[in-house]
Amino acid sequence: MVLFGLRNVARNKARLVLVAVLIGLPYFLLLAMAAIGDAVERYTEVLLASVNNTVQLRARGSMGHVNMVGNEDILPQEALEQVRRIEHVARVEPYLLAMTPTEGHNFGMIVGVVPGDTKRLESHGEAGNPRIIAGRDLTPEDAGKRVAVIGQGLARWAGIRADNLAGARLTLDLKRTHPVIFALDRQPATLEIVGIYASGYVFGDMQLFMPLDTFREIYGVPAGVSWLYVQADSSANLASVEQRLRGRLGDQADIIGPTSAAEFQSSTTRTVLRLTRSGVWFAAALMLSVVFFVMILVVRERAREIGTLKALGASDSGLVIAALAEALALCAVGSIVGFALFGLVGSAASHGLFAIGIAPFLPAQYKDTLGATVALSSQIGWSALGLAALVGFAVAVVGSGYAIREILRLSPVEAIRHE
Amino acid sequence: MNEPTRTGNALITLRGVTKFYRKGDVEIRALDGIDLAVGERSMVAIVGPSGSGKSTLVHIIGAMDRPTAGEVRVAGRDLGAVPESELTRFRRETVGFVFQTFNLIPNLTALENVTLPMEFNGVPAPERRRRASVLLERLGLAARSAHKPRELSGGEQQRVAIARALANDPPVVVADEPTGNLDSKTGAAMYELLREVARERTVLVVTHAEPLAQMSDRVLHITDGRLADTQPT
Repeated sequence: MVLFGLRNVARNKARLVLVAVLIGLPYFLLLAMAAIGDAVERYTEVLLASVNNTVQLRARGSMGHVNMVGNEDILPQEALEQVRRIEHVARVEPYLLAMTPTEGHNFGMIVGVVPGDTKRLESHGEAGNPRIIAGRDLTPEDAGKRVAVIGQGLARWAGIRADNLAGARLTLDLKRTHPVIFALDRQPATLEIVGIYASGYVFGDMQLFMPLDTFREIYGVPAGVSWLYVQADSSANLASVEQRLRGRLGDQADIIGPTSAAEFQSSTTRTVLRLTRSGVWFAAALMLSVVFFVMILVVRERAREIGTLKALGASDSGLVIAALAEALALCAVGSIVGFALFGLVGSAASHGLFAIGIAPFLPAQYKDTLGATVALSSQIGWSALGLAALVGFAVAVVGSGYAIREILRLSPVEAIRHE
Repeated sequence: MNEPTRTGNALITLRGVTKFYRKGDVEIRALDGIDLAVGERSMVAIVGPSGSGKSTLVHIIGAMDRPTAGEVRVAGRDLGAVPESELTRFRRETVGFVFQTFNLIPNLTALENVTLPMEFNGVPAPERRRRASVLLERLGLAARSAHKPRELSGGEQQRVAIARALANDPPVVVADEPTGNLDSKTGAAMYELLREVARERTVLVVTHAEPLAQMSDRVLHITDGRLADTQPT
């Protein structure tokens, strides 16, 4: 009976073409919408990754520099542990800061960081890691060692250049003062300079980064941190992280976060994603409905024939198998038509659909950039193709099974007369 | 031929068979207390005006439909007591159907149409092809066996339908207005063919054509679901 059902597929070429197109078009539409959804999803991922979702904490009313007049208060060590326990906190980076007098720019900034953490520049934290232009960066193996990387401005003041970097050293005199720097009763400390960075900022180039433990030892700060950079796991969770930080540490820390920008970004992104996902769901629902009803029609148009076969002694199970085999074969032909069509004109169609169905509803900042990226993802993964085909087959089986069951409930005479 | 189980001398026995249909609020009495006995190897014509119940009668005898009340025994089987799944087997083995509109499967050849009931009956493919070829040859269609129904004339299609009805060698053949879609000459030839078939089995023929009915062993007149039995003149 499987063969009998499969032979029905090609019984009438016009019927086969009609069914293949009827099934193929919604498949094609679904793939095009999935391509758009995929492109938008990837685009927003990139966009969200670039959103600043980091909150800065420092001791209340203090800049947190351990030798800065009136700004030497730092956060207690427990703050670090408290912050780490907060939900949606992805990363916590502790900093210790001090200042050192120089000529010219008046002072340089001495920073202790955990090697491997982001080396943020004071006043230009958004710039992120500065580029190493000579030597190397700090590595986890440097922890506790007297090594440092230095900004090119501070290096110039210290007479350190790329060509004399090997074996270059810088001595910090902690007793030297400045109108905003007080003396610390600590021994001078000499650091090996392993790398020079360039930040693009004059003040940013006047900094020195050393391992956090080295800083503690040199400046005599066994516990506590100047700043804590707290990164939320997503910009969508930034507000809740900031709220919890205020709840737990608000009485002892100033909390500086880009919440409004992140909230705007994440809510806009959510809207865009919802819009495109709705399009995909709509296309999927359309595809499934079409497959379902086409299968019902394909079986019902043959009610008379099914009645005849029953009269000739065909078993119900045999007729069900024949109908399902035909449904699966028709659905396979339809899906191949849809896939082929998508392969041929998928990119153009994705652009067209995006322009007609999605773009008019997008927030302004997405319109230009997103339109250009849709073409990138007009190739759908095999898993998505397979899933679409499988779901289509499942619905074809349900539609066909439903229709054949309805007909088999009738007597052969009723089925033959059925319209 | 499949050996029928006898009930007395009758192959087919109906007692008080009644069939109601409901169309909206209206109840239509298609058959009204039919009593009938038909022996083996005979040709019985059932004649009557449209809507008199003649098709309903043969459908019930052929297990294509169930009566509302009464007893139907065919080849020793009480059809009222047979479950639906068994009725399928009964139709396959005991009854051959010939329809007014031929009802051939359009995408199968004449030969494949004839092999179909044998396929349902589990006959191996080579054997069913051999038997189908013999039947088509007997009915003068050997040269047309590879043709699809649309390539055959009405008379040829009906002969293929008769060959299909005989495929499983059933003891009963039911033909529902088999000449209804044929011209008078072809219709007469078809009737002659059915007479030949009736030498080996019982044939029930529903017809409007009184002259053709007179070629039968027995003519049953049915009016408003009631039967009047006459012998052909």
